[in-house]
Amino acid sequence: MGRKKLVLVLCLAAALLITAAGIPSAAEAPPIAQKPIAQIKKVTGQAAVLRSGERRPAKVGDVLFIKDVIETGSDGGIGITFIDNTVFSAGPSSQIALDEFQFDSNDFRGAMLADMRQGTLAVVSGDIARSTPGAMKIKTPTAILGVRGTTFAVQVYGDR
Amino acid sequence: MMRRTIPALASMVLLAGCPRQALFVVLPNAEGGGVGAITVEDGKTATILDQPYATAESRAGSTAPTAENQGNISVIFRRAIAAQPILPHHFRLYFILGSPELTPESKIAYRAVFDDTKQRPVYEIEVIGFTDTLGDLTYNQALSLRRAAAIRDTLVRDGLDRQAISIAGRGEHDLLVPTADQTPEPRNRRVEITVR
Repeated sequence: MGRKKLVLVLCLAAALLITAAGIPSAAEAPPIAQKPIAQIKKVTGQAAVLRSGERRPAKVGDVLFIKDVIETGSDGGIGITFIDNTVFSAGPSSQIALDEFQFDSNDFRGAMLADMRQGTLAVVSGDIARSTPGAMKIKTPTAILGVRGTTFAVQVYGDR
Repeated sequence: MMRRTIPALASMVLLAGCPRQALFVVLPNAEGGGVGAITVEDGKTATILDQPYATAESRAGSTAPTAENQGNISVIFRRAIAAQPILPHHFRLYFILGSPELTPESKIAYRAVFDDTKQRPVYEIEVIGFTDTLGDLTYNQALSLRRAAAIRDTLVRDGLDRQAISIAGRGEHDLLVPTADQTPEPRNRRVEITVR
């Protein structure tokens, strides 16, 4: 029994290794099954998307996925529109992680959680906030913002 | 003000674990929607902001409303607001009874949908078709999808990117004007279009 188990573990480990080796681009591309949650609509100055530990320049037209992190440089700005029609726009030196997102385009219900780590963000909320009160949240280091209405802004900054 | 315009390098250092603060602001609604409102929860208190330019600040586990003047708010968020893309726009077009052909008025209104896409550096279009309650469910489901497809085909014929257009049909579900079954209602024979 113990030996069988050991073999099984070794096989699993080998399978994992082969899988990892067989998909060198795993870190670059999201799994095929994953659906885009937003599209980049506007970029000014330096802006990037951090995905699976890799940073790439943000380009207008690129799509975003759950867990992507949008970042801007000290002169940068980025505007994105989610599939529920929520609009995010970030000013310079910002970092925002798109942690959770679910949306059903049939009944417009869903949930969203963005992690605002740094910078400035202006938001016009969309279908999720309208159809599912309390389901859209923005986390900051000090508090969580729940969205009831449409237009607001958040700044996260450090103590001097 | 100075404390909020710390240089990027200092920001990076601060990201590594120094005390953080957040400022929350309700802005006047974009394009004249209803009243904006947010709730700020820090684990102890929930602060509701529901007036334009109402602000709250949170630090070290406590949140309190603040009186930030409008000029300061505009300065703090100027670049974030400047980065805002054109907001999504919604359109509704109507059809002739039992047909995927637009009414004469909607043929004219269609132009606004097309023109809207031209304002945007990149666009996505969603087209959802609907019917009234005349006819059976299966027929109406198919008709609603034909209506959405007809609009997509027209947009593609006019030069828009087919890949950027998604269609769906809801048949006689989600009536714009609630009616009994087997009721002709021009306002229900429609497509709802979102351009973003």
